[in-house]
Amino acid sequence: MRFALPALAFAGSVVIAASGQAAETKQLTGELIDTWCYYSGVMGGPDSTQGSAHHTCALWCAAGGIPVGLLTDDGTVYMVLSYQGEDPVNSEPFLDVQSHRLTVDATHYQRDGINYITIDNIVEDEGIVNVNHDDWGTVPGFVIPELN
Amino acid sequence: MYKLLVLTSVAALTAMSANLSSSAQAEESQARDWGLTNAELKRVDGTVVDVRCELAGDCPNNCGDGNRQLGIVDGDGKLYLAGKNNQTSFNGAVEDLLPYCGQAVEADGVVAGHSGVTIYHVQLIRPAGSEEWSKTTRWTKQWNAKNPELKEIKGPWFRKDPRITSRIEANGYFGLGKEVDQAYIDEWK
Repeated sequence: MRFALPALAFAGSVVIAASGQAAETKQLTGELIDTWCYYSGVMGGPDSTQGSAHHTCALWCAAGGIPVGLLTDDGTVYMVLSYQGEDPVNSEPFLDVQSHRLTVDATHYQRDGINYITIDNIVEDEGIVNVNHDDWGTVPGFVIPELN
Repeated sequence: MYKLLVLTSVAALTAMSANLSSSAQAEESQARDWGLTNAELKRVDGTVVDVRCELAGDCPNNCGDGNRQLGIVDGDGKLYLAGKNNQTSFNGAVEDLLPYCGQAVEADGVVAGHSGVTIYHVQLIRPAGSEEWSKTTRWTKQWNAKNPELKEIKGPWFRKDPRITSRIEANGYFGLGKEVDQAYIDEWK
């Protein structure tokens, strides 16, 4: 029993939101990504549309109001609906963490095949750890004006 | 042999029927597929919603005034998360859906994605029952209205927006510091 209590402390709890939709609180770790480029294929495959290679484009898309997702290590993407109580579109603090690997306390919803979260608390911000620009360059290629 | 012919004919007719059905849907949509992953041209008739409100029951006025992700719930209750609008420079669809918050609309666009996830990129929209489509191109008009001094400067918005330029100035294009940028530039110039 002494060992069961810490395990329970990490388990998510299911709640019913005011909408009537089931929600689950959970802790997640992953990278914040731009979901337009990641899911559309417009700039190549998923591996090239994340990390340092895609950081500037992630800023452009987040500032443009395109949904941002948290890509966790198992490949699941959670669309972010709020960031520490703040709405995500036009949020400056949210721009500061694009491409960062975060561990977050979140509330998770599912609807029609898509996972959504509100990020309720940042547990850890590791910064940009997916350093992949040596593999992909900048994605898209015109990011750095000096090289155009 | 006769059974084989019948089965083959049924299979062929089924395939033709599916193709005709697919063609009819494609004709109904005026959207362009943009060459996206698993693209499906899609007309969606439904109600514009604030997605957080729809899921969490947290519902500010006017769908969050443009600060929240929006979507469309169709007549079957399916929620389509809106992604891009009809512009080509990293513009989301929120500004184009916001005027219709809570209203019935007809939308036209493309659904695309992979790994079981699809996002709806809205290219055209009109109030339900209207004859006239509007292209979803409000984003840059709104940005220009908010940034009158910047719109006169040559170049696309994403090269001028201080929210972006300040972060690139601080952390570089890769987000790893200006020295990492410089090493990359020196290698590829």
